Amino acid sequence: MTTAPPPFQFPPTYSFPPFFTPQPNSATRTSQLQKWSALIQSWCRHHRTYRLTLSEAIESPLFYNAALRKRLSMKDARDVLDWMAKGEEDGGGGGQRAEWLDGSTKTVARIWWKRPEEWAGIVADWVENTGQKNVVLTVYELVEGEGTLSQEWHGMDTDVMLKCLNVLVKRGKAQVFGGEGQEGVKFF
Amino acid sequence: MFFKPLDLTTALRPALLPDETLLFVQDAVGLYEGKYKIPNYQNGHAYLTSHRVCYVALEDPRKYSVAIDLKEVDRAEYQAGFLKSSPKITLYPKPPKSSLSKSKSAGASPSRGQSPGLLAPRPQIQPVTPKAINATWVCPICSFSNPVPSNFDPSTATASTPIPPCLACGIKPPLATILKAVITATSSRNGPPTQSNPTLSGLGGLVPVNGSRSLSSSDSAQLSCPRCTFVNHPSLTECEICGASLAAAVGALKSTQIDSYRAESPAPVFSHNSIKSTEITDCMKLSFRAGGIQIFHERLKGALIQRKWLLYDAPPVPQQPSQSNAIASPGLTVTSPAEGSVPSPSRSPGVGIAGLEQRGLQARKNNELVIGNAFEDLEALMASAKQVMALAASMRETGMTNGDLSGEANAVLLESAETMGMVTTKDMLGSGAGSLYISELSRNLAEYLTDDRKGLLNKEGGIISLIDLWAIFNRSRNGVELVSPSDFQKAAELWETLRLPVRLRQFKSGLLVVQRWDWSDEETLRKIQTWMTELRQVPPTETVAWDWRMFGRAVTAQEAAQRFGWSVGVAAEELEMAEDKGVLCREEGIEGLRFWANFLSGTSIVGDLGLSGIVLDEVNRCT
Repeated sequence: MTTAPPPFQFPPTYSFPPFFTPQPNSATRTSQLQKWSALIQSWCRHHRTYRLTLSEAIESPLFYNAALRKRLSMKDARDVLDWMAKGEEDGGGGGQRAEWLDGSTKTVARIWWKRPEEWAGIVADWVENTGQKNVVLTVYELVEGEGTLSQEWHGMDTDVMLKCLNVLVKRGKAQVFGGEGQEGVKFF
Repeated sequence: MFFKPLDLTTALRPALLPDETLLFVQDAVGLYEGKYKIPNYQNGHAYLTSHRVCYVALEDPRKYSVAIDLKEVDRAEYQAGFLKSSPKITLYPKPPKSSLSKSKSAGASPSRGQSPGLLAPRPQIQPVTPKAINATWVCPICSFSNPVPSNFDPSTATASTPIPPCLACGIKPPLATILKAVITATSSRNGPPTQSNPTLSGLGGLVPVNGSRSLSSSDSAQLSCPRCTFVNHPSLTECEICGASLAAAVGALKSTQIDSYRAESPAPVFSHNSIKSTEITDCMKLSFRAGGIQIFHERLKGALIQRKWLLYDAPPVPQQPSQSNAIASPGLTVTSPAEGSVPSPSRSPGVGIAGLEQRGLQARKNNELVIGNAFEDLEALMASAKQVMALAASMRETGMTNGDLSGEANAVLLESAETMGMVTTKDMLGSGAGSLYISELSRNLAEYLTDDRKGLLNKEGGIISLIDLWAIFNRSRNGVELVSPSDFQKAAELWETLRLPVRLRQFKSGLLVVQRWDWSDEETLRKIQTWMTELRQVPPTETVAWDWRMFGRAVTAQEAAQRFGWSVGVAAEELEMAEDKGVLCREEGIEGLRFWANFLSGTSIVGDLGLSGIVLDEVNRCT
């Protein structure tokens, strides 16, 4: 999954030591969290990762700056993801960019570096551009097929793709049918 | 008598002259010129100092403050309150100089004019002595009661003083008998405080006084003889039975006349009136609307008797104390004149080491004298303040040359001697004047802090914690009249309401600090920011993993304390304040808490991969 020829380019704040200390000042804290959120999203996009296992991530360069010998502790990292998981209406500024996959234990999170709505828009656009309206595609085809090789969502987890398609279904732009594991989708 | 312009200190208290000491403060005082109220001078503080009576209005004190020199005040009269009228003290100016000169001769003892210094340490003695003259001495031969001659002065009497023989047997009494008689008469008369003052200072030697104690309560129509208590007819001048003089009793009855005698007080005049101010022709009054008049009056009288302003021209230290000691206190062992008055010429100028040692010895003796006098009693201490201060100064100089170890201690000593005159103590204020004490203490503190000579606030980087200040302040008081912490804090809280140039401030953690009123967080923030900018220009000593050109380096509270001259506690608070304002951000690590310029919030960093970066990235990819 971590097939990324060019190494990830960290933002300058990554080498700013206070970045790894939770700030008591709420305004500073907010922008610190925003920067963390941005960093995690871009990291995940760079590595085409949709889920983050906290115990692994803690040791990865994402949360551990070897040059500074600074790291984000498990608790702090969880706080960051918690913040990202919150919607604007919950008082957080995270915009639901993360989602805990294991409920209250909070060890694995899905990172929505694009929200399902955004994915849905992109997929719909792609369908439109490639003239595949009213064509039935399997979800597997959509995710792993050769036709989507150049697309950003290529290699996406199937359940993530299904979520995105569900958005389109709600909008009335697509219909999902078929059983577990071999879903098909038809775009309108 | 003139209303003189008054210089105020930063704390809006009267600036004291050198040697001037504060005696009493009272608030809610109004001024009258003659019978009329003076507008704008109706609510203020009255400061009684050893030299002046100062008035500082509560509103607009810079504009409405005046002083009256005590040396121009002839006398002060007390006027009790009646119904809605507050009690008042009336100050009468001295008559013009010309009328004074003739009055000098009569009552003043010869020592008065010559050595002004002696008045201060033993103020009561002088007015008392002439009065004591009318004691009687009992002849040891025939036991006849003879009057003491009117020109007899116990403080100057020696064996060679002519003494008249006994009126009955014609035999000269021994000097001791007369001295004893005089002293007992004096002491018994000094006893009752109700009686002593008005007659004592007023009469001088003009009117012979017998113990008129009984008279004060007696019926005015008849005079009771002070010696045998026989009730005489008022027109008689001598007792019908024993022949004792009744003149004093008569005098006491006609007190108003006697008061006019007092106008001719034999005080030497050191007059250089300023003409630009208004003159008080008749009299001026101080109206005490919130009490305190008794003590004020008492101390005013004391100050008028002591005449501290004469000290101003007193001779310098080493010669002066022995002189005054020798004359002023006849009860003490009198130092030999050779030792005292002018040491250098009377000594044979020794050569070489012997000479040096001799001079050292001499200096030590002088110092001994000064210190000895100073601690004779408190009264004397106040009077010798000048010498003690000079001594402290010289000690400090020697301390400096001997080694720096004691230098600081001596500086403290000198400082405390200097502050002796300017502090307000509870003692100076009337009872029940708790709030006045606090407000005076508050002003006191403000003065202490803003005093340019010490520059306390500047030395501490413009900010000092209240506890440190409390310690320093009490230390400078040298262990007497210490201020309690609660009083201290209350006084500090009053700065705001009194509009003094210092302010108390509480940090988030509860730490109380003192700073100038114009000190602001913005100022501090600017200073910190400049510092941060500087750090970005100086390459760090060791290689760092971050871009120091962008982030600079971390600072600790210690570094900040060092840079700005703050105490570490204050520095930590200030840094946290800056963090609170979003200027700094913290880094917690194994090295402890450090602060950085805040690069987390704000958009100062170009090219930072923020959310905007992602959006931009997205746009690139999608197209």
